[in-house]
Amino acid sequence: MPSDKTDVLHGTLDLMILKTLDAMGALHGYAIARRIEQVSSDQLAINQGTLYPALLKLQHHGWIAAKWGESETGRRVKFYAITRSGRKQLETEEAEWQRAAGIVARFFKLSKELP
Amino acid sequence: MRPFFSRVLSLVRRRTLDRELAEEMDVHLELATKELVARGLPPAEARRAALRRFGGQTQVAEAYRERGGFSFLESVWRDVRHGGRLLLKSPGFTATAIAILALGIGANAAIFSLVNAVVLRPLPYPEPSRLVRVWHTPPQEQFRGRPTFAVSPANYLDWRAQSTTFEHMAMYGFRGAVSTGRGEPEVFIGAAVTEEYFQVLGAPALVGRLLEPGDADPARAHVVVLHERLWRNRFGGDPAIVGQNIRLNGEPYTVVGVLAARLTLEPDFELWMPLAWTPQERAVRGNHNYLVIGRLRRDANLQQAQAELTTISQRLEQLYPADDKGWGALVRPLHDDMVQDVRPALLMLLGAVACVLLIACANLANLLLARALGRAREIAVRTAIGANRGRIVQQLLIESTMLSMAGGIVGVIAATWTIGAIVQSFGAMLPGAFDVVVDARVLMVTAFAALATGIVSGVAPAWRMTRGDAGDALKQGMGRAGTHTGERRVRNVLVSAEVALALMLLVGAGLLIRTLGQLRAVDVGIDPRNILALRLGAGRTTAGGPEAAARFFADVIRQIKTVPGVESAAAIDSVPLTGGSTQPIAIEGEPARPLSEQPELAVRRIAAGYLATVRMRVVAGRDFNEGDVIGRPLVAVVSASAARRFWPNDSPIGKHVTLGLMSNDPREVVGVVSDVKVRALNDDDTQAVYVPIGQIPGPFNTIVVRTRVEPRALLPSISRAIHDIDPDQPIRGPQTLDEVIGESINQQRFAMRLLTGFAALALLLAAIGIYGVLSYTVRQRVQEIGVRMALGAAATDVVRMVVSEGLRPTTVGLAIGVLGSMAFGRVLSTLVFGVTPRDAVTFGAVIVIVLVVGAVACLLPAYRATRVDPLQALRAE
Repeated sequence: MPSDKTDVLHGTLDLMILKTLDAMGALHGYAIARRIEQVSSDQLAINQGTLYPALLKLQHHGWIAAKWGESETGRRVKFYAITRSGRKQLETEEAEWQRAAGIVARFFKLSKELP
Repeated sequence: MRPFFSRVLSLVRRRTLDRELAEEMDVHLELATKELVARGLPPAEARRAALRRFGGQTQVAEAYRERGGFSFLESVWRDVRHGGRLLLKSPGFTATAIAILALGIGANAAIFSLVNAVVLRPLPYPEPSRLVRVWHTPPQEQFRGRPTFAVSPANYLDWRAQSTTFEHMAMYGFRGAVSTGRGEPEVFIGAAVTEEYFQVLGAPALVGRLLEPGDADPARAHVVVLHERLWRNRFGGDPAIVGQNIRLNGEPYTVVGVLAARLTLEPDFELWMPLAWTPQERAVRGNHNYLVIGRLRRDANLQQAQAELTTISQRLEQLYPADDKGWGALVRPLHDDMVQDVRPALLMLLGAVACVLLIACANLANLLLARALGRAREIAVRTAIGANRGRIVQQLLIESTMLSMAGGIVGVIAATWTIGAIVQSFGAMLPGAFDVVVDARVLMVTAFAALATGIVSGVAPAWRMTRGDAGDALKQGMGRAGTHTGERRVRNVLVSAEVALALMLLVGAGLLIRTLGQLRAVDVGIDPRNILALRLGAGRTTAGGPEAAARFFADVIRQIKTVPGVESAAAIDSVPLTGGSTQPIAIEGEPARPLSEQPELAVRRIAAGYLATVRMRVVAGRDFNEGDVIGRPLVAVVSASAARRFWPNDSPIGKHVTLGLMSNDPREVVGVVSDVKVRALNDDDTQAVYVPIGQIPGPFNTIVVRTRVEPRALLPSISRAIHDIDPDQPIRGPQTLDEVIGESINQQRFAMRLLTGFAALALLLAAIGIYGVLSYTVRQRVQEIGVRMALGAAATDVVRMVVSEGLRPTTVGLAIGVLGSMAFGRVLSTLVFGVTPRDAVTFGAVIVIVLVVGAVACLLPAYRATRVDPLQALRAE
């Protein structure tokens, strides 16, 4: 029943969060969002409504862990870090993504050649 | 699995998570705003921009929750809270519903506890499935209608010695134990058991030890095991009892241990002593006085044991045809054997309470339906703003389940209170090893029943409510959606079902009431009024031989006769309907036959004057008199039915009979007496031979005293009279003969009472159902009634209309119930006596009762209908 568009985003968002945390270490929610936006050259806007549920889901799976810390403004905030099983998951997903992306790329190439 | 648990956890930690999220998002916004400010925006605008960009907190929280917990569980929880609020808002409805369900579920919990304890739970001994009872099967030509019989010592010893499928086999019998030397003499109900008895059961001792091999050795000291109850009541529950001596039947016994009450196999036994046989007793083959239990070996099953004992019995038949011809063996699981008498009554009651619960379900469904219709608008609104049908069904089901669960809790509490009373009324029919409690299984089954009740009662209303068109309901406005005829049909079907079920229970109860009436009306053959019966042992006179015992009983009777208010006194070994000896009889002039082939009939020892005391008539010849004592010619008296059987064309007076188990000398028949029911009120057997106590006194007799005043009032002076003869004589359990006869039909009375109670409950619920439906209908049709009255209808017309409306489903239910009762009448066939399951009187009475109750249930709504003010009703339109 949830809308299909967000689903696609969810899948990729998870991967992006894991990759970000893998590369940058522990970050709080805003930093994660900003980082992903920057990497995408601001082509993606990360809404709170998608970010925090995604973070929660990743926690449920045990792929990331949260710890309270202090923000740049001196406020209490959760810092998220990737866990070992999260790293493993990232590897699998990355491979999976590469494969899927490769297939799609080949498919587009093929359809370009055909007509 | 892991996400699942985390989700459950987050569900529990909902509040904390929400707070943390709010905090996190706050920081998020703050950081975003700060960044925008850094880019040069004014703070206020920066914050608005950040908000726009990252979404409002509420939506985020909602999305976060969807992700975080189970939306299903969440919605259930919301419905539970919503439902709880709604139910609390209408306390009248809620209390009624819970009360109805508590009755239905509580009755089920109580009866199921009983069934659970008696039928379902294994016996409280180790590996109970290996425990069996072994019976003799008597030759059917002499013992028609008696499938099982007690066992003789010699046959038991052969079974035990020759079988290989038994680990242990034990024999035991009743043994009265008179305790003296500790103040007032008392008689305890004792059991004489072979040494293996407790090994068969595998029961541990509560204190000390139980009997073990060697205890029966006559060369060793007598030992005894006490029942926990006796130990606590008479010996102060002191563990130091072990090793102490008590005097039983005039001999010293050393207490070796105590058996826990819950491990007692027979409900009555208070102490156990080893069964020590003399060589002569060991050789007794034709006298069947003992019970046998056994423990099968682990590698043996019931069929093997049965086959083996059958083979051994056949061998014994050939070896000892005089005693054993026609006597087989039957091996039965001990548990089955113990409960087979009460099982039919229990299962019938279980069926009855299930009916009560069904009626309660129908009632709740009706109540919910009425309520849901009143909420048609609320539901329509919810549907209109997007709730799907599933969500609304879920909400309605959750409400009904909450009600049924609450009803279940109240019901279980009520059940725990009533179980004690129910068990008590079951009395001696429940063997000792059954502990009737609300245990985990009872709770589980009850919880399941409550859940099922909620769902079953909730489904119809939920279905009805969500079927309609939301727009319709909104347009029609509140309360008008329910006047469809389809709606009424559902409700009427429910009422009809309630009436049908209640009627079936009433018919069952009616049949049992009639049965009891028939049993009470049975002429026992004696006049039991004003007769006190006291069980008396020969006591210390036993040592003096039969002469002394006979003299003792004669003295006691003579002494009691001197008590003022006593009309007459006599004795019999066991009064009618309390069991007693059955013995083979040889008739003079017929070809001699071994004992095992002789006809069997009841043999009773009576004292001179017994016949007159209980008002039996001497049909021919004479009664016994003071002169019929040991040393005088042996005499007997036969019942009229026995006379007809053995001397159909002749007078029995002067003929001789031989009671081979007592002595081989023939006795002369000196009289014929009127018939008396020997075994039970519902058993036609009246054939009996009477012999004088003066010649064969026996160890125990029942003194019967006819009094001119209330019998119990004379008990103290009668006791004094007995103690004048023997100060050591315990007076135990005096009863009037009326009570004895009443007790013999305890099972029927018990079943009748409970079933009548449940039937009344069912009728009450059905009446509530009729009333509920009708009052609702009246409320729905206020306008119509108003119009009718405005057009000139009289109050009587309105009453007639409402009552006929209410009686229609009642009549349908009546018809269905009558058909159902006829179909299920067979179920009761083992419990009824003297009436057919299609007894016209019962059916007629029940139909009248149901119609009257139905009409009464209609009257209040009908009265309310006549109070409708036509003007107001029309204005409301």
